[in-house]
Amino acid sequence: MAARRALKAVLVDLSGTLHVEDSAVPGAQEALKRLRSAPVKIRFVTNTTKECKRDLLERLKKLDFDIQEDEIFTSLTAARNLLEEKRVRPLLLVEDGALRDFSGLDTSDPNAVVIGLAPEHFNYQMMNEAFHLILDGAPLIAVHKARYYKRKDGLALGPGPFVTGLEYATDTQATVVGKPERTFFLEALRGTSCAPEEAVMIGDDCRDDVGGAQNADMLGILVKTGKYRPGDEGKIKPPPYLTCESFPQAVDHILHHLL
Amino acid sequence: MAGWAQHLAGIKGLVLDISGVLFDSGGEGGGVPIPGSIEAVKKIKASGLKLQFCTNETQATREKFVKKLQRLGFDIVVNEVTAPAPAACRILKERNLRPYLLVHDDVIPEFADIDKTNPNCVVTGDAADNFSYKNLNEAFRVLIGLENPVLLSLGKGRYYKETDGLKLDVGVYMKALEYACDIQAEVVGKPAKMFFQSALREMGVEPHEAIMIGDDIVNDVGGAQQCGMRALQVRTGKYRPCDEQHPQVKADGYVDNLAEAVEVILKQLHK
Repeated sequence: MAARRALKAVLVDLSGTLHVEDSAVPGAQEALKRLRSAPVKIRFVTNTTKECKRDLLERLKKLDFDIQEDEIFTSLTAARNLLEEKRVRPLLLVEDGALRDFSGLDTSDPNAVVIGLAPEHFNYQMMNEAFHLILDGAPLIAVHKARYYKRKDGLALGPGPFVTGLEYATDTQATVVGKPERTFFLEALRGTSCAPEEAVMIGDDCRDDVGGAQNADMLGILVKTGKYRPGDEGKIKPPPYLTCESFPQAVDHILHHLL
Repeated sequence: MAGWAQHLAGIKGLVLDISGVLFDSGGEGGGVPIPGSIEAVKKIKASGLKLQFCTNETQATREKFVKKLQRLGFDIVVNEVTAPAPAACRILKERNLRPYLLVHDDVIPEFADIDKTNPNCVVTGDAADNFSYKNLNEAFRVLIGLENPVLLSLGKGRYYKETDGLKLDVGVYMKALEYACDIQAEVVGKPAKMFFQSALREMGVEPHEAIMIGDDIVNDVGGAQQCGMRALQVRTGKYRPCDEQHPQVKADGYVDNLAEAVEVILKQLHK
């Protein structure tokens, strides 16, 4: 491994790491306070397709987490940044709750396609509209490519299958902006003036959180909460820098060993 | 003269794709004949060449589809048409499969005598407006709940042309389900080798004695060539100029339309 510099930034996943559904991970609020007392920048990073930052923030505040809106970086933010960089007008196939994160963007006469998770938009007519735009040269941007997710009534298709279908129809590759893409982690550090070698990521998804971060030259810490299943740490190479019980233990390790 | 036309000795039969070769689908009346195609079919039949139609059409039963073509003026009967839904029914029966059908409402009668209770596979065709999130999700749940998920796809086309533009075809949704469940679909229809072989069997003609004519560079031309046939691409239907520079598939020849293909073939064979 390349020589590491002193730690300056900590990226923290939300769902499954700080909280599981509507309950905080025990001790997580206190641990976050301890982390805030250290000289590190903190960013909260998440693959969300349906909740805007404000909704995420509200949920975290209800659980007594001390978090600011501008510390949150989501796959929707990453999509928006890419749209602004490319100066394109998107057709947004995202749920209404996510639209707020795109407010102010010109969406008339679209020349780009953004696929989030939007069951009500994934109908044949809308898919054809997206198809025609891509054939005419519009970039296809995927918020992420998850195969499916768990809903109260069972498993349900994620954005991935629809992105894959459109890729096949148009013989193009989507630009995926969420975790585990390398650019997602680099973008999350923007404004912190920290290099990836100075950052660590804490998350419960071995591939998307830990593998993705390590692939972007950060350290990755896997926590055994949320979607963690025994043996997950063996799923990536190189393995996680560290695997520990939960967020508070991860914070303690950082405070004692990485500063 | 085009190179492909110089080596036609021994040709005994033609296999024709239908949509985009005989007619463009969509709009009122269900479509419009491509100029010269009605006459071209008559000329083939008068020439003594064997003729079979090979379609991936799954928006209607074979009977209804043929009736529409007859209404449009084509000389065509049901047993001249090789179509995926009847082929799928044979497979379902052979393998005791009970399908969840993700297909167009108008093709459901083809599956009338197939047991569809407690499904142990998914059959998908060109379902058009039935490709809703809800229906696709239902198909996904059937597949993800099976120990050995079986997905039969009636064709794997990317898109086809209707009178008002290009439309997404079944292949897009087949790929979506493959990705969601991490499985490989079995394709019934073009470009599957078995499907072309069954069309050739109907004609009693060997692959090297037959020419496929279609508008889809991959599924018509590539599929037929894989099967040992020669294949021409017409510049009608879903044809796009970039097809002539396709990285994997090169047609034996490119013609403006069916009429031109038939004219050249018959002229050469009657020399």
